[in-house]
Amino acid sequence: MLDEGLGRVRFFEFLTEEEREEIAEGSELVTFEAGETIIEEGAEAGSLYVLTSGRVEVKKGLPGGRDRLLAELDATNEPTVVGERGLLGGSAASATVRAASGVEAIRIPRATFRRMISEGRPAAFKLSYRIARTLARRLTRLDEEVVEAIRELERRGETDLEAFRDRLITDWAV
Amino acid sequence: MQETPSLRGIPFFRHLDAEERAELEELLEPASFEAGETIFEEGGPEGRLYVIISGSVEVHKSVLPGRRQHLATVAAPTVVGEMGLLTEPRAAASVEATTRIEAYGIDRDRFLELLDADSPAACKVIYEIGRTLSERMAKTDRSVAEIIARLEDNRGTADIDVFRDRLIQEWSF
Repeated sequence: MLDEGLGRVRFFEFLTEEEREEIAEGSELVTFEAGETIIEEGAEAGSLYVLTSGRVEVKKGLPGGRDRLLAELDATNEPTVVGERGLLGGSAASATVRAASGVEAIRIPRATFRRMISEGRPAAFKLSYRIARTLARRLTRLDEEVVEAIRELERRGETDLEAFRDRLITDWAV
Repeated sequence: MQETPSLRGIPFFRHLDAEERAELEELLEPASFEAGETIFEEGGPEGRLYVIISGSVEVHKSVLPGRRQHLATVAAPTVVGEMGLLTEPRAAASVEATTRIEAYGIDRDRFLELLDADSPAACKVIYEIGRTLSERMAKTDRSVAEIIARLEDNRGTADIDVFRDRLIQEWSF
């Protein structure tokens, strides 16, 4: 059941059926009510969630106690992944993910992932390769955005700082 | 030292056992650079990564035309060019030898072939890179949050020069 869920997610399509089963074995099906917190900003690095139905909000606390909505993700038509950075790294979650409706998800616990890594299981290494590529692309794109903004500011052109800000926060990796 | 290439003692490869190291050591091509020589040119090809075993390098990026931003000075043992394994093989910054450098090159395509064949050695190296990137991402997320807060605090009245200079100084490329 769970591996069928993973099979629907583009994020996992690079895994063989057998590898998806291996990951699914250590995973669990979880549900959240609207308003429930799935990942809390500042909490220690945790699980990866494959959202298979429902909607979530991604929010970031800004200095001064304000909140900013970074994204609304809808898993109704296509499953989506949150928490992938926490699976790989040790830093605390950088944003809060909260259910905006009833949400169904597959949770891949960090402990499962780390156990698979220490056992040398290819599925876990392939998953980390996939996460690393996602992070590398996002970092490259952010660097380019910042260079572009700096050059634009230097040229004294009509710099649209709000557009710059919006581009910086696209596709935040929690 | 160059006659028997070894990755032993290089932090980047510390999780590999002897057999796995041997698999990668077959790919090593000895390379050396003189002080002042360019190892990677910003925007240029990044078709291999280098394991630097002696000497030190400087990393620069042309953020503004005519102005090279110094990003880092890194001493051996270290690895440069590893990002090319995960993205387009195009250098995001220039890397220049500040002293004479002894290094081993690893061809990107040959490494990626190993990875495609599920080589445990290649997988472990990528996992290490991923963990580094994950920490860098966390730091970048904090920078982005600060930029957003700053822009929203100074909407319309921002001192553009100050904002630009802080971006240059504080962004960790």
